[in-house]
This record gives sequence, structure tokens and C-alpha cells, in this order.
Amino acid sequence: MKKAWFKWAALSVPALIAAGCATFPDQATTRQIAEKMVSESYSAPTPALLKRLVQDKSQQICSKIGDAKLTQEEAAEVVKLARASIQYPESGQLVGDWKVGDKLAHDGAGDRIQFGRLEKRKENGGLCQNCHALAPGEINVGNVGPSLTGYGLQRGNSEAVAKLTYERIYNGWAYAPCSNMPRLGATGHLTPEQITHVVAYLIDPASPVNKK
Amino acid sequence: MPRTRSGITAFAVACLTICGTVLAQGKPDDGLAVGRQMLAEDNPGDLWIDRGEKLFYEKRGPKKASLEKCDFGLGPGKLEGATAQLPRYFPDTGQVQDLESRLLTCMVELQGFKREDIVKRAISPAGSSGSDVEALAIYISSRSNGMKMNVSLSHQKEYDMYKAGEYLFYRRSGQTDFACIQCHGEANKRIRLQDLVHMTDKKQIQEVVSSWPAYRGAHFVVRTMQWRLYDCFWQMRLPELNYTSDASIALTTYLHYQGNGAVIRVPGFKR
Repeated sequence: MKKAWFKWAALSVPALIAAGCATFPDQATTRQIAEKMVSESYSAPTPALLKRLVQDKSQQICSKIGDAKLTQEEAAEVVKLARASIQYPESGQLVGDWKVGDKLAHDGAGDRIQFGRLEKRKENGGLCQNCHALAPGEINVGNVGPSLTGYGLQRGNSEAVAKLTYERIYNGWAYAPCSNMPRLGATGHLTPEQITHVVAYLIDPASPVNKK
Repeated sequence: MPRTRSGITAFAVACLTICGTVLAQGKPDDGLAVGRQMLAEDNPGDLWIDRGEKLFYEKRGPKKASLEKCDFGLGPGKLEGATAQLPRYFPDTGQVQDLESRLLTCMVELQGFKREDIVKRAISPAGSSGSDVEALAIYISSRSNGMKMNVSLSHQKEYDMYKAGEYLFYRRSGQTDFACIQCHGEANKRIRLQDLVHMTDKKQIQEVVSSWPAYRGAHFVVRTMQWRLYDCFWQMRLPELNYTSDASIALTTYLHYQGNGAVIRVPGFKR
């Protein structure tokens, strides 16, 4: 009798767990499963390009699931890492040519991978237009980010504004940790020189962004 | 001993109750159906359905077999409602599979096609006449038209897929620092003029998952969910998402489960 009971329990408990009571994996298990998927689910023409999938420390912190909130310590760490990442152009000049910046702001191409090939271009586009309203009257602009129309009219073009604008494009997480804004300089999408041209496009009084 | 036995019984009852609750479905609310119907009435994607039907019943491949014995989860050859419950776990492959992944399994096992050959052609070039897989996917999906999305989580691998999909939805990487949520986390957002689906909104997610595969106007072909995910990663500057890879199934499981209750109407019609 006793033996039969044990046999029943030994057989049915694992069966119940397998068939009837499967459940959501915990956070650590989920992470392990999903990271394994990331390492096995993508292809790229070179191993270096596959590394784009590897998260840096800030990206790990900024990947909160659902309504989970950033802690103060985490936010402080992201800001610290962002501040340390910012590099300035060799010339020291933070305001470039607004006409070059205009082109960059409206260029959404560069560095995409398709059919086993990397999109070849002399330089990457700035991607700004995808998410931000730019010069007044432009229709084909996104709204994921705030409108930049009249950016310089509202803020002027002082050295302080130029520096802040440069840094917010280079690595905006220094001011708004984990915001949706890509860290365009820090991740290498744009060069410091390219960013100076976008800065000019935003703050130069002659730029279309600042025309009424 | 009796105490142990009643403890185990209570454990079993608790399990079944919890699992039963998880299976509960959301209510359908299909206010966009009218507009969708208007588009669907003149949808070039319908041509792909006819082609897919022919391909499904034709004896093809090295084994000269049709796909009539393909089991999409409801039994061999049973297509009504099949895509409504995908992705799901399949005991014969030991994997959670979506429509396209299951289709691949059948084309390899039943018809003897080479997996690499199908995968290579699965996503067709824009402006082409489309791939066999695209035509088959839209035909099989169309057989669930009018039925409600009803993806269930019961096998452990289904739970794992769902959670992995959620994790990936929020996982930021690459030079744009994007995860899915950066563009799909708020209502009324656009990339340039293109509307972005608000994926954390039940209604919008239902609208999306019930309208793929869809005719994509800009490409003049029918596109599938696998293509939709692939294209997002391309734009995010990440490596290419492998066709029917686990990451793609995980994201699809996560999205489809949340779309439960939506009435399937394919082909959708996209920009």
C-alpha cells in the first residue's frame, strides 16, 4: 500500500508540473533564455557587426521591462557613464556649418544591414527628421521626439547653448538618462564633426529651423 | 501520510486553477473592422490566397506530396482556426512554432524540400511575384478569417517564449539604442509620416496581429509577420533577424498572446 502510494506520487507530481502547472520563468531564467536567443537568432556579414547586439552597461540598465522604474542609483550611473563618454571635436569648435547640418538632419540612411551586406555610405545620416519636427512648414517629420522648430529662437546661440546642444546629441543620457534619444556620438553613429554641423543647424540664426 | 496526500491534491487543484485563469481570454472590441473591411474588399493580396491554395494542394517537392497532412496544431490538414492559436508548442519538433516555422517543418518533412532553399527565398524581393511561403502563409491564415485570436500558454516552452519575447521587446542595443518600445510605446506617434503602432495598447496590438500577413502597397507583395519583424531590426541598424529564429518566435508569441480576442481578417492592407 505504502509503496503504491509512493509510486503514484513519484509519477504524478512531475507529470502535473510538466503538463498542468507550467508557469512564467523568473527574471534570471528569462534573461538567460532570451540572451541565448539573441546570440543565435541573427546574422551579419562580419563578426564585428554581430557585436551590435551586445549591450553596454547603460543599455542594460535602460532596458526596463513594462512599468519597472529606473532607481536613483541606476539613473546616476547612466548619467556618470554618459558624461565620461562625451568627446569633443579636435578643433574645439562646437558650431559647424548649418547647411551641412540641414542635409544631415534630413538624412535617415547609413549603416543598415540587409541581404548579407552593410549599407555603404561615406557617412551616416543624422536621423533627426525621423523623430523631430525641424524647419517650420515641413510635413514629412516624425513626432517621437519633441519639436525642434525654433530651437535657436527660444534658446539663443551662446557658447553655453552650443555646448549643451552638442552634448545632448552626442549623449543625451547625460541629461535625460535612458531617454528614447539615441546616443548618436557615443555609439559612433555620428562623428564629432558631424554633430557640430547639426548643432549649427539648430542654433544658427540663419538656419531654416529658426525662420518664422 | 493523509496530510501529505491532501497536500498534493491541494497543490494539483491550485495548479489547475492558476493555469485556467491564465487561459482566460480578452474581450473582442473591433471598432476598426469597418475601415479594414473597406480596404480588404479591394485588396490585391487576395490574388496570393488563390495561389497559396493551389500550392497547398499540389503534389510538390522531391517527395511529390501536398501539404494536406500538415498539422498546424489542430490536426493534420485542419486549417480552420489554425493560425488563431499560433504560435504554440509542437511535441513532434519539441519547439514553439509560428505559422511560417511550422510551414517550413511541413515543407521539409512532408515534401522533402531543403530547408535552406526555402529560407533563402522566403522573403521575396519588392515588386516580385512573391514567394511560395508568402502565398501559403496568406492562404492558411485566410482560413482563420472571422475567428478570434486564441493563443494559449500551457506548455513550459510557451511560457518561456512569451517571457523571452517581452524581454526582447524592451531590450535596447546597437548604435540607435533602440528596443521595440522606443517607437511603439506611446499613442499617436509617427516616424516621419508613417504611423507607429502603439504596442502596449490592447486595441492597437489586436489590430496588428489580426491583420498579418498583409498586402504591402509600397512593395507590391504580400508580407508576413516574419518580414515585419525583420524590417524593424534592419531599420534599428541591428544584424539581420534569421527567418523563423527563436527571437522572432518569442516576439511573435508575446505579441499574438496579447492580441487574443481580435477577429482575424487577412490579408491586411499596409502602406
